[in-house]
Amino acid sequence: MDNPLVLEPLFRLGPVPVTAPVVATWAIMAGLALFSVLATRRLALRPGRVQTVLELFSATLDGQIRATMGRDPAPFRALIGTIFLFVLAANWSSLIPGVEPPTAALETDAAAAFVVFAATTGYGIRYRGLGGYLRTFAEPSWVMIPLNIIEQVTRTVALIVRLFGNVMSGVFVIGVVLSLAGLFVPIPLMALDLLTGGVQAYIFAILATVFIGAAVGESPSAAPRAKEEEQSP
Amino acid sequence: MSIDWWTLGLQAVNLLVLVWILARFLFRPVARILAERREAAAAVLADAEAARAAAEAARQEAEAETAALKARREALLAEAREAAGREAEALRAEARAGIGRERAEAEAQIARLRESGQEEAAGAAAALAADIARRLMGRLPDSARAAGFAAGLAEALADLPEATRAGLGVAAPLRIRAARALSEEERRDLRDRLAAVLERPVTLDVAEDPSLLAGLELEAPGAVVRNHLKADLGRIASELARHG
Repeated sequence: MDNPLVLEPLFRLGPVPVTAPVVATWAIMAGLALFSVLATRRLALRPGRVQTVLELFSATLDGQIRATMGRDPAPFRALIGTIFLFVLAANWSSLIPGVEPPTAALETDAAAAFVVFAATTGYGIRYRGLGGYLRTFAEPSWVMIPLNIIEQVTRTVALIVRLFGNVMSGVFVIGVVLSLAGLFVPIPLMALDLLTGGVQAYIFAILATVFIGAAVGESPSAAPRAKEEEQSP
Repeated sequence: MSIDWWTLGLQAVNLLVLVWILARFLFRPVARILAERREAAAAVLADAEAARAAAEAARQEAEAETAALKARREALLAEAREAAGREAEALRAEARAGIGRERAEAEAQIARLRESGQEEAAGAAAALAADIARRLMGRLPDSARAAGFAAGLAEALADLPEATRAGLGVAAPLRIRAARALSEEERRDLRDRLAAVLERPVTLDVAEDPSLLAGLELEAPGAVVRNHLKADLGRIASELARHG
């Protein structure tokens, strides 16, 4: 048996090796894009069922962002919403036989985490200015600068490992049980995987929101809550 | 365990591309339609508020108009009541005046009737008394119709003022009317009595006048002395008429 943590290229585009998570991600992207185009093709003031679900999702997302950051959610809606939808779709793609979720690959989780890190830095500089953003590392005092820098790295690594560990472990458990017990035995575990995938997508998105909110300057009332959520799984 | 940096980079690019795609085709359209619905709802609410304000204004206007109409109706009613009162008062005053006039006319008529009745009654009484006196005198002897009245005539002459008496019978004889023709003795007695009153000799011009019924009457310029039943009956009739 090959090492499941090592990605083998499916094919190459010139010098670029294309692995399975990338192909699965392209498929997810295509599905989400097609769904978006079709679902938003005929938006009306009197919504249909699909439009109602989309509006409910958008309103809930805005509510979460507003509650966490205490700011207008419009500038952050696309990034946070895309991270949530992508991670959710990637996690749940394991239900399709033969498809390994892209988030079970460390590279995908790391890419998402790096995007969050870059967005955190970019939004922080955009809202506070470069000096203002750098000064946040000296809060509450300059003694905290090394710890704050380490925190930036560790929380990004935590993002990666948390998602990767959960999804990869689910895939491994199902694979092991499937190889040992039979065809229908892993079904309860797959159902649990659905729950785990949804929770992990929510956690990844909400942590991204918390990080960005902390970078752009969160409202005092949102600060304790943000810290609390950061310490959750 | 190793990291496939190509995969990591491709996934990062994929994620950024997906962010753009979903922002372009999912989140913006949904946010736009939500904003449009919010604006539409706000517009509907604004319209409803404007309609409510207009309805409230119309209601207040209607209330004001109703109040004005009520006030106008009250004013008209009060004016009508006042006019009716004035008219009724005028009618009452006119009626009172008419009644007063009618009453005054009736009283005047009554007074006239009473007066004429009294006059007629007095006239009838006088005529009746004269007739009675005439019949009674007819039963008395002729001497009683004149002889007894000479003393009374002399007394009445004595009651005249001195100045009047002084002028009597100076220029002409005293004119005497008697109820019957006087005998010579009666003439002499009468002349003596009058001369005694006037304190000078007098001459008499005696004429017979049966309308006197009984008694004598002296006529002179400036004075008439009556002592006969006709005059007495006339006075009685006048008194009767005066006392009703």
